Amino acid sequence: MKTTRTLAAVLAAGVLMITACSSKPSGGDGVTDTTAAKGLPVAGATLKYDPNTLVNDGKPIHLDWWAWGNIPQIQAFADAYQKIHPNVDITVVNQPWDDYWTKLPLQLQGPKGPAIFNIHNSQHDNVIKYMAPYDIPVDQLAADYLNAKSHVIDGKIYYLDLGLMSGAIYYNKDMWAAAGLTDADIPATWDQFREVAKKLTVKDGAKLKQAGFNFNSSFSAFQAGMAYQLGQNMFAADGTTPTVDNPANRQVIQRFLQIYADGSGSKDFGTEATTSFGQGQTAMVYAWGWYEGTLRSQFPAIKFGVFRTPVPTAGATPYAYDRYNGESTVGINKNAPADQQAAAQDFLKFYLTDKADMKALDLSLGVFPAYKPLADDPEIKADPALQAYGDISRYIWPGTVPSTFEDNFTKMWQDILYNKVDPAKALTTAQQKIAADLAGKNFTSAEKLYPAYAPSN
Amino acid sequence: MTTTESAQPVAASVRPPAGSRRTPAAHGERPLRLVVVTTVTVAILALVAWPIVAALLGSLHDWNPLNGTYRWVGTANYRRLFADPVFWTSSVNTVVFMAGAIIGRVVLGMALAYAVHSSLTRVRTLHRTLLYLPTVTPLVAVAYVWRLMYNPQFGAVNSILGLDVNWLYDSRFALPAVMVMTIWKDFGFGVILYLAGLYALPADVLEAAQVDGAGAWARFRRVIWPMLRPTTLFVVVTSMIGYLQAFVQVFVLTDGGPGDSTSLLPYLIYQQAFVKYNFGYASAAAFVLFVATAALTVLSFRAQRGPWRGKAQ
Repeated sequence: MKTTRTLAAVLAAGVLMITACSSKPSGGDGVTDTTAAKGLPVAGATLKYDPNTLVNDGKPIHLDWWAWGNIPQIQAFADAYQKIHPNVDITVVNQPWDDYWTKLPLQLQGPKGPAIFNIHNSQHDNVIKYMAPYDIPVDQLAADYLNAKSHVIDGKIYYLDLGLMSGAIYYNKDMWAAAGLTDADIPATWDQFREVAKKLTVKDGAKLKQAGFNFNSSFSAFQAGMAYQLGQNMFAADGTTPTVDNPANRQVIQRFLQIYADGSGSKDFGTEATTSFGQGQTAMVYAWGWYEGTLRSQFPAIKFGVFRTPVPTAGATPYAYDRYNGESTVGINKNAPADQQAAAQDFLKFYLTDKADMKALDLSLGVFPAYKPLADDPEIKADPALQAYGDISRYIWPGTVPSTFEDNFTKMWQDILYNKVDPAKALTTAQQKIAADLAGKNFTSAEKLYPAYAPSN
Repeated sequence: MTTTESAQPVAASVRPPAGSRRTPAAHGERPLRLVVVTTVTVAILALVAWPIVAALLGSLHDWNPLNGTYRWVGTANYRRLFADPVFWTSSVNTVVFMAGAIIGRVVLGMALAYAVHSSLTRVRTLHRTLLYLPTVTPLVAVAYVWRLMYNPQFGAVNSILGLDVNWLYDSRFALPAVMVMTIWKDFGFGVILYLAGLYALPADVLEAAQVDGAGAWARFRRVIWPMLRPTTLFVVVTSMIGYLQAFVQVFVLTDGGPGDSTSLLPYLIYQQAFVKYNFGYASAAAFVLFVATAALTVLSFRAQRGPWRGKAQ
């Protein structure tokens, strides 16, 4: 009898746990909305969002929204929308990045995938076939969002950039002041940069105590972008052949090696440049916009400034300052039930016109807003990293470049620094590996979309 | 000799006489046996055989389950694999890592087990527990701690040794550094097995050797070591299978670098499958690893039947 009762209790507990763990019903919280005319202003510039409507005829509906980070900013969109449409229950599901790109595509293959999901353009090939096109005319999106037309596929847009990110130099303000440097010393050229790096270097005898500049483990971030400064594209004129083994990339390698040869940094000092900077060991690092958020959240004690990446020649505008990439807007699951897709499309218009939350998301991601009405926003203009990009139109977008470039640039630099491989040989190897990885991928570069595009070999 | 002689009649007494398989009792157990055999067979087919077959099939396809690609390419993945210098680098690294880690596990395991076996009875349990502690600590946690210890600026390793070495980024030291961490993590397993082996040694043989005037080293070399060979074989085979699949330490400590100097085959498989989504290529590498593991295991068991077994007895 006792055993039976125990078994029954275990069974009941199991049922309760399963019930608690299962996803919400499609009806969400069961709230019905009966008021279409809410007296709220229509939002948006060219693309408009009229909140004075009923979504799903006011009947309760539930949507899952998958994301891998910046959850508070994403939750803010959901909360603001649910305030307008209380019958729409949106659950933001946080899935860590490491699992996200295996779980999401598999989930999207069935009927129970999330109706809304964040995407990253590097995963385009794995998710595009599960996405429904935006139910918004392309011209409206192109009028309000930078770079929107580069995302058109067969006349439709499935996602676009919410913001654009590139590289810049982050410097420690205290170290800068301690070295007797002022704003007037912010270097415009690489030669000036080398001299500043020397001044920011602190040694105890021969031992490096403070690196003037550190690029350990951040090799992949700058290699391709810095070659653009010298007029070298990542792809040949055909848009498909990678061009890595060339004088421009050799020059980039030599330039960075010279800084270490000066003694301003070392391959063995601070195993990761960005961590070393955060720990107060390094005065300057090159990093992309995301680093601003990392510094604020993980290393709040560091007082930092950001300036535009130096260029080879004083007073001359380079072919491009750097490459950029976009953080993407949300995708809509084409396999979701029709009512969920319709509600998701309505939410999408709200999301793309919600200036306040979009600004918060841009700032947290450290990206220059693609939403044009935010371009002149005072907070955006005051942000150090976004200021550093300056004129974003002088940056180039090569497309959603396959990760083979970053992987092989990382290995190339490790071989040069730690395995004593000759730079020329390392570049040749990287070129061969990248070409082999790209074979059969059908990747075509978007470099030709750059207004100042000039072909290179 | 006594053991062998007494084992023979016992074994003979429990063995059913020839032609007795259809006894009433055995006949009554038949349905149960059938259920057990069927269940185990189905489980083996589903959980072992099918994944192997699926990997073999996958290796013959351009395969990405994330976007639904599954296109027949024949042996292309294998041809690409054998022409890939990273595969050969990873294979060599795997063999070096496996050999180094096994030697460390055997030598350290046996030495410490011998020391513990010879120590005072009162502290033996404490020693045994302390030595086994790293083995039960999660590998990921151990790897993260060792990563900090290897840090060239503030790591304990350089501080203790008074060196200035970039352990995980210098290709001369990176793979040995991973091996040392692995040996430290795993030697307790060897200690426990060797302790069990030492406890099982017949006391009269050791006493006879002592009476015959054999010193400590001679007793170890001529008596204990030969009798521990089956244990050593077990340690070697299980270690070999385990180290051929080593992944976590590389993932946490070095990411396969610098360059490809610490890339092991399981890491290569992970990179191809879950970073580059080349599941077909990864399956080909996994199948090669499976064949290599199976071949080495068979060779090891054959060795057991050969000189190892003979000398041990």
